[in-house]
Amino acid sequence: MRWLSRPLGTRAMGSLLWPWLCAASVAVSLLMLATLLTLLATRGLGHFWPASLEEVTLHSGETVIGQPVREAPLPNAAGMERLYFTGNRDIDGTRWRWVAIDDIAEKSVPDEIVRLERTPWGDFIGRLSSVERAGERLEGDAAWAFVTTALALPDSQRPEAQLHLTTANGQRVIQPLSGVTLFQTPNAMSWVQKTAAWSQRIWQFLSEGPRAANTGGGVWPAIFGTVLMVILMSVIVTPFGVLAAIYLNEIAHQNRLTRLVRIGVRNLAGVPSIVYGVFGLGVFVYGIGGSIDSWFFEEALPSPTFGTGGLLWASLTLALLTLPVVIVATEEGLARIPDAQREGAVALGATRLEMLTRVVLPMATPAMLTGVILAVARAAGEVAPLMLVGVAKLAPQMPVDGEFPYLHLERKFMHLGYHLFDTAFHGEDVQAAIPLVFATALLLVLIVLVLNLTAIFLRHYLRRQRGNEC
Amino acid sequence: MTPPRLPLSRQPLRLIHDRIATGLITAGGIGVLLAILAIGVFLVWETLPLLAFGDALSLNTLSPLAWGTLKAALAAMLFATPIALGAAMYSALFMSPRLRSRVKPILELMEAIPGVVVGFIAGLLLAPWVERHLASTLLVIVWLPLSAALAGSLWYLASARLRQCLPLSWAGIWLMPWLAMMATLALWLAPLMEQAWFGGDLRRMLDQQYGLDYATRNALIVGIAMGFAVIPSIYSLAEDALADVPANLMEGAQALGASRWQALWKVALPTAGPGVFSAVMIGAGRAVGETMIVLMASGNTALFSASPFEGLRSLSASIAIELPEASPGGITYHLLIFAALALFIFTFLVNTLAEVVRQRLRQRYQRLGGNR
Amino acid sequence: MLALSSANPTQAPVTRFSAETCCLSINQFHLAYAGKTALRDLTLDVPRHRVTAFIGPSGCGKSTLLRAINRLHDLNESVTHHGQIQLEGQDIHASQMNVTELRRRVGMVFQTPNPFPMSIYENVAFGLRLQGRMPKRKRDDIIEWALTSAALWDEVKDRLHRSAWQLSGGQQQRLVIARTLAVQPDVLLLDEPASALDPISTLKIEELIRNLKSQLTLVLVTHNMQQAARVSDYTAFLQQGELVEYGPTDQVFTNPRLQRTENYITGRMT
Repeated sequence: MRWLSRPLGTRAMGSLLWPWLCAASVAVSLLMLATLLTLLATRGLGHFWPASLEEVTLHSGETVIGQPVREAPLPNAAGMERLYFTGNRDIDGTRWRWVAIDDIAEKSVPDEIVRLERTPWGDFIGRLSSVERAGERLEGDAAWAFVTTALALPDSQRPEAQLHLTTANGQRVIQPLSGVTLFQTPNAMSWVQKTAAWSQRIWQFLSEGPRAANTGGGVWPAIFGTVLMVILMSVIVTPFGVLAAIYLNEIAHQNRLTRLVRIGVRNLAGVPSIVYGVFGLGVFVYGIGGSIDSWFFEEALPSPTFGTGGLLWASLTLALLTLPVVIVATEEGLARIPDAQREGAVALGATRLEMLTRVVLPMATPAMLTGVILAVARAAGEVAPLMLVGVAKLAPQMPVDGEFPYLHLERKFMHLGYHLFDTAFHGEDVQAAIPLVFATALLLVLIVLVLNLTAIFLRHYLRRQRGNEC
Repeated sequence: MTPPRLPLSRQPLRLIHDRIATGLITAGGIGVLLAILAIGVFLVWETLPLLAFGDALSLNTLSPLAWGTLKAALAAMLFATPIALGAAMYSALFMSPRLRSRVKPILELMEAIPGVVVGFIAGLLLAPWVERHLASTLLVIVWLPLSAALAGSLWYLASARLRQCLPLSWAGIWLMPWLAMMATLALWLAPLMEQAWFGGDLRRMLDQQYGLDYATRNALIVGIAMGFAVIPSIYSLAEDALADVPANLMEGAQALGASRWQALWKVALPTAGPGVFSAVMIGAGRAVGETMIVLMASGNTALFSASPFEGLRSLSASIAIELPEASPGGITYHLLIFAALALFIFTFLVNTLAEVVRQRLRQRYQRLGGNR
Repeated sequence: MLALSSANPTQAPVTRFSAETCCLSINQFHLAYAGKTALRDLTLDVPRHRVTAFIGPSGCGKSTLLRAINRLHDLNESVTHHGQIQLEGQDIHASQMNVTELRRRVGMVFQTPNPFPMSIYENVAFGLRLQGRMPKRKRDDIIEWALTSAALWDEVKDRLHRSAWQLSGGQQQRLVIARTLAVQPDVLLLDEPASALDPISTLKIEELIRNLKSQLTLVLVTHNMQQAARVSDYTAFLQQGELVEYGPTDQVFTNPRLQRTENYITGRMT
């Protein structure tokens, strides 16, 4: 308590409190990051959990069956209202229902409520009354048994059948079995069953294409497109980036010009990605692509083949965008190698090429890898330039198929980041798509973070290895 | 002991290989550098036709966009600079080295989070939430620094044992629950305050008394979201500059009786000033060029308005939206490329300035003998 | 000042050797870094199968001279030189001289051990592999011979395929010597080979140097007077890029012709 006995001016007081504000900045940054990641993880993964479905009877006598989503206050402090996801867009014209809590007369969680995912109409929530198969009508337990066995079969072997369903209001719906992709009774499921269903749906999300205007299904084409584009990009960027770095560090005369070039390359890493997109559009798509079209694909004009955004141009643009990252990382790796190693090799009679390939490049490999991984991480998360050079909302054809030449560089492709942007901002029913957008965002962040962590690990390993030598 | 005979094969091929490889590397290296140079040349070349159009008015369509870009960048910098610099000062000079080795990579990882994810959270979650809880948001922004200061004051009053359990060098971690608690408290108090002072609804009051419109996606949201994205780049560079201040300088100042904070303020900051400045510059460069966050969080309305509660539209977002539709050779096309050129030149200049300043700083550190 | 000293009439005469005993012959050699003179009109002969030591204060040009003999300055564009260096009568800067072949014939060992980040075996095989393919047995023989000559075989024969960076500093330096010996050079240049080592490792290196002179010509740069006296047969004293005194080691150390040499050797001047 010594400080109490000393009169403190405001200046000294500030000197004591400022460090706390600085500490709080770290805490706030960490909090924001943690909130963001938790939000993504819970909302992204939580969506696949088979949530309980409530059956609610209102004072008006109407019944609603749905999954409670969130609550919000009513205007003028008139209590709260709750949003239910009710599905059945084909019948009600909407998937959502706001219910004022004060209106609820009765609430129950009946076991027999089913949730179906169908093409093309998306979710159905209601009850199964009977199954009609080849003129025969199954009811009760027999119907259940039939549906569960039939859905366990692969698509092609499923028997023809019609499901007779009832909505909350007693409306009858006939649904052919062939259009059903998911049949669940979440209220009757145990924890183990729910976990199994949860992992199955996550797998579906990763392995299937989007359905029902991006509100259902998965993101497989987007994952595929992203990965393919990133692979093509690394195939382009790695040799050129490494070549440029070797030239700058090992061959070019070290003078004012080299220093200038080095600063320039470093600065290009800070140039906005959209500028690269503009360059890609102007030079690759309109310039080179247009020329290729007029030389080789004249019969197809005026509809462009290469003269429009596509996989190749996107990869090239991103390669240019990430070139500085690879150059800088490789150059750092090369600069860290002591000259003694180079002289040792040369003094044994090695030519410069032998010195580079046998001693210097193997030692710089972790640095190069770090650079390429960082480049891949950056490219995987970059969306703005892709909007100009070849990403598609929904690509009708995959860029790789069984048709010659198998890899179609001119085709448009889907990209996780753009899929996220498009679904979240241009979807028909954004509310219904949001859970999947969260899942997509989580996937994207995970990919990028894992790549970055790998790069950090590699760099750490590199430093330790270098440390041993000293 | 006689050596075993060494079969020596003359290999003039080796020298030829070496020449060829050197030539190839040189050609490749120069080619890559030329390709990079081509970006600038292309942008300038495609802007030249604008002169031919001779339509000065068309440039006016860009000015609200330029304003929007600056406004968004300014909002982001206002949010990010204090937090990033505070965090840099704390982690360079106060944090325990063990914690620092963990926290620094984590904060740098923040930079890797794709803009599209940040933009999505800001545009679809944060924006509607802030619209509903405007007063709470503003209260939290004011309340958090105060509660940090409060934590500091309480710490000086606390018993020595408690102070040892919760040292300043670990405050970056243990302040987190405290701040989270304080933020919750503020959120709980905010409606009451709004009721008492702003007639129940701050938004309506702003509208009625000051004529301020409130757009859901506005500069405030952009500032927070893009600030979040810019914090790590500023933090990382500023932290490097501060941590590299030669230790003997700090020790000298402290030996003369300065407190750690005074040593930081009087010695470390002036020495590392250029580095901190270049960190802020690079952050600004990033804020000006960021596309997805602005596109998703700003509402994309081209307005001339200084109000933080109104939407904006930036150059980068316009390029992303309009360029795919613009017909090549048309005036819109050239105008948008001009916008890209402006972004390119701005960021390039800012980064060059920052880089030059940083190199000067490095030389200064070497002169001061603190080559850590 | 420099001009004065080169005009000094008391400068010692240069020791020359007959063509049969002379391995390296340096004639009026002049070298400059970016215009700054590092070696000035140097003339001396290095006798075959002897250890010749270059001594002198740091920055006197002794390391520069060593690197010039290996043409390591080729890597640096700012270096200019004129004058002659002859290896066994051939000018090393002649256009028909193959620089990689020259560097094979003139091995070089540096101040800090610089083994490559490979196994011990691969380090020694590095130079051999550059010379072209050879049967594995033959290569194994040469490697064993090289490691034995460098007095390292017994210590590493059980771990030939472990990383060379796991060896101690002294072992690393002997490995580097073995690596150089493997390509069977005529001359071995040693640039302060023991300065980074502990006394025991230093002794081992010195013993090795004495043993090796039966096989090849050695040139040793050192700042350690006792070391030069212990291992060398001839000693050259360089100062500010010029040769001050050159002669048999006994004579240079016990009865130097010049006051400058004596001052340096007795430590009155650095």
